[in-house]
Amino acid sequence: MLRELVAWWRRRHVDREFDAEVRFHLEQETAKLVRSGLGQDEARRRAVRNFGPMDKHNADVREARGISWVDELVQDIRYGVRTLGKNPGYALLAVLTLGLGIGANTAIFSVINGVLLKPLPYEHGDRLVVVRQSAPLTGQNTVGVAIAEYFDYREQAEVFDGLVEYHQMNFDLLNRGEPDRVSTGVVSANFFDLLGIKPVLGRTFVASDDVPGAEAVLVLSHTYWRTKFGGDPDIVGQVFEMNDRPHRVIGVLPNVPHYPQENDVYMPVLACPFRAAAERTIPRNRRAFAGLSVFGRVKEGHTHEEAAAAIATINRRFTADHAGVYRTATSGFQATAVDVRSALTEGARELLLILMGITSLVLLIACANVANLTLARMLGRDRELALRSALGAGRGRLVRQLLTESTLLAAAGGAVGVAFAVATVGMLTTFVGRFTARTGEVSIDPAVLGFTMLVSIVTGLLFGTLPALGARVNLTTALKQGGNQAGDGAGRRRMQSALIVAQVAVSVVLLVGAGLLLASFYRLQQVDAGYRSDGVLSAEIYGNFSRYGNISALRRLYLPVLERLEGQPGVVSAAITNAVPLAGAAPGTIRFDIENRVTDDPDRRPATDIRIASDRYFETIGIPLLSGRRFGPLDTDESLRVAVINRAMSRYWDGHDPIGTRVTFNRGEDWFTVVGVVGDVRQFGLAQETVAQVYLPLTQSPQTFAGQVLVRTAGSPDGFAATLRQTVHAVDPNQPVERVQTLDDLRAEALAAPRLTATLLSIFAGLALLVTLAGLGGVIATSVTQRTREFGVRMALGATRPAVMAMVLRQGLVLVGVGLALGVLGAAVAGRVLSAYLYQTTPRDPLIIAGVVVAFLAAATLACLAPARRATTVDPLIALRTE
Amino acid sequence: MPPRPLDLLQGTLDLLILRTLALGPMHGWAISQRIQQMSDDVLRVNQGSLYPALHRLETAGWLSAEWRATEQNRQAKFYQLTRAGQKQLRAETESWERMTEAVGKVLGGSEGF
Repeated sequence: MLRELVAWWRRRHVDREFDAEVRFHLEQETAKLVRSGLGQDEARRRAVRNFGPMDKHNADVREARGISWVDELVQDIRYGVRTLGKNPGYALLAVLTLGLGIGANTAIFSVINGVLLKPLPYEHGDRLVVVRQSAPLTGQNTVGVAIAEYFDYREQAEVFDGLVEYHQMNFDLLNRGEPDRVSTGVVSANFFDLLGIKPVLGRTFVASDDVPGAEAVLVLSHTYWRTKFGGDPDIVGQVFEMNDRPHRVIGVLPNVPHYPQENDVYMPVLACPFRAAAERTIPRNRRAFAGLSVFGRVKEGHTHEEAAAAIATINRRFTADHAGVYRTATSGFQATAVDVRSALTEGARELLLILMGITSLVLLIACANVANLTLARMLGRDRELALRSALGAGRGRLVRQLLTESTLLAAAGGAVGVAFAVATVGMLTTFVGRFTARTGEVSIDPAVLGFTMLVSIVTGLLFGTLPALGARVNLTTALKQGGNQAGDGAGRRRMQSALIVAQVAVSVVLLVGAGLLLASFYRLQQVDAGYRSDGVLSAEIYGNFSRYGNISALRRLYLPVLERLEGQPGVVSAAITNAVPLAGAAPGTIRFDIENRVTDDPDRRPATDIRIASDRYFETIGIPLLSGRRFGPLDTDESLRVAVINRAMSRYWDGHDPIGTRVTFNRGEDWFTVVGVVGDVRQFGLAQETVAQVYLPLTQSPQTFAGQVLVRTAGSPDGFAATLRQTVHAVDPNQPVERVQTLDDLRAEALAAPRLTATLLSIFAGLALLVTLAGLGGVIATSVTQRTREFGVRMALGATRPAVMAMVLRQGLVLVGVGLALGVLGAAVAGRVLSAYLYQTTPRDPLIIAGVVVAFLAAATLACLAPARRATTVDPLIALRTE
Repeated sequence: MPPRPLDLLQGTLDLLILRTLALGPMHGWAISQRIQQMSDDVLRVNQGSLYPALHRLETAGWLSAEWRATEQNRQAKFYQLTRAGQKQLRAETESWERMTEAVGKVLGGSEGF
């Protein structure tokens, strides 16, 4: 084939060569004839005659050279373009339908390619694993690695090139006097070497950066360097104040995705004051600082399974050595190593595959529809095809011509599809970004374009083959019959019916899916989260530990801020707590004991989540008081330790009144008296059941925490951000105010992912419905045109108009009915893949399925109504006369 | 009136070309003259139909061709049998002989062919 293409490119050369050969031949022949006594002109004429038909020989030479099929293809394409141009409505509809289908697939595939398929952009990315500890018996899927555990893994693991630790902190970086809160990755000195990340400027850490007394150094992320320092090429060597120490910038990272989190800057582990303090407590507390992520690079020649087994073995060893700490019998505490790439994308994988499945269904519907359009158009082309066939075009050539036309349409559809994908991939990336950190590499690259091309070709063949199969033209009947009468159309009609049934079935599956997600979203939106989000602004003020090193110092920041805020006009109330509802935190699980109910088995002790609340917290956020009292000004540092519990926690009192009883969180060292019970709050996700929670007053909180300010304003809270900042800066001008958001925004944010999922599927299902109905209407209309005479006869014989109309409608609705039945069966199967995305909605929700069926029937009736009405307007006389 | 020249069977032309070129390289016109001569003007090749056959045989690899000067110093395309072409010639000659033998048997006693 390649040789033929080359020959085709060189066809002018072949033609020229043939010309030269012919010229030489004629000269020789003429000369010979002259020698035999003819005159020059006569000899020339005879020579030409002896040579025979020049054009035919030239064509034969081309065919001998294997050029002709390419010529035919070019001819087919020209002819195809011309035919399609004559029928712009059909061409436009087909190209747009295909473009949407192909475009949706291209967009989804570009995300799948960037997120799931591309190798990690790190050197040896395929050998990187992350250590994952879990305690399945207590329901904890991930348990952070403690410093001592990391040491065990690092020292005993043999199949690794190395293991490194990571944790994230927020620090204040003073950039020319401006406090800037930076998310900081605290990493082992060889972290970047192990990942194979080379700096774009300067260097990354070396072992001597991570020894006591070393100069404090920082590596900047590419993004932070670009946005905060404008990509300053002289950044290396500059010194910034952080944690009351000067830190020197030694390097800038390349623009690679960060794992597990994006960070602004990185520092070596010894520079983190929290971790350093925790490390000193290891002899007393084996699980000190249990928030590390541990990564490893598997040695060349070893498998991930070996790595996982090695980690599991070390874990079993140290849990046996410290049986009292881990209690594996009741916690199931264990460890394994997981491929970083799959760990990075596991949240998005299933969703992406579902989306890909949905878009391929949409494309299938588009194919079926264009096939149907093509079939309908073929009815009118019978005579043309018969004529071409009579003029000598073989059946193969006719089929090839039809396939060329469909491929042309598909190619144009592919082009539209790429444009569609370019326009939508950004939105899609943002959406998927809610499920995985790995979206930075999504782009419409050559791999994606190759995919689109492949899909377009397959699409063209798919919707082109069906009509072409029906291209068996019966010459005599087609040529004999009148223009509006098709030949043997029965096979083709059956094919059209089958296509409509398939389209209806697939559309029903998509519609039921969309219906389920919408119902689930509606229910999620209606969830009473237990607090009032309207009119409340939240912000984080995390007093830097170097100035607010303990909780009493922090209170000197928090309490004056609260006092000033409540004095501001327009403020109804203000509060400080340690976590804003729906801000993305996970619940804590602190074991507690109720006085006189202390259980000896430490694993049977109930667990709760501890919240810190200032006096007016419950009023500010609108959590109802069920019994007892809230915190008040009389609860101080000196007074009786008190606690307020939520209803979920009060169940542990087995129906007894908790008020007045005491609880402890440290096995009786400190006791807190329960003074009130408040309503449950869905703090960690609208779809999540409430957990046991206990509130301790700010004035008595035992630990430091990042203060979350909540302000309920009389009017809209949107304009209050500036006042909030001023108020905080009046107390401490160097205190950053961050994450300023209204609680309404946070709630909307929590709903964003399900809303987008439901919207996407609804759009696709809506498209499928429209395309299917258009196809149905078209098929019925064609059939009505074909049966004009039959209707005429029937009406002449006394059939009423309603009877004729009912006949046409029945024809359409029988197809829809079969499709609906198949679709409902399909939806029952396909719905199951959605169950993880449904809230209080079963995949077989009968109401939704029934609703889709009824709505579809109604819409289908409407689509058939117009052609049905046309059937009743047939004038029997005219219909009979046309023959 | 001379006997009407016989139409050339497809495939026979290929054999004749190969046979002709077994004598040595020559250009298209010379081949056509040679075939006419060899068949005592009984077989009449429509001269132009020679060229598609030549190009087909060249594409098949049985002939090679090059442009060079004739004795009168004119540029012409000379065709030449390749090794594969020689093998093809032997095979086709053999099958031709088998066929004429078979046809002769069918026609029986008649001596004339």
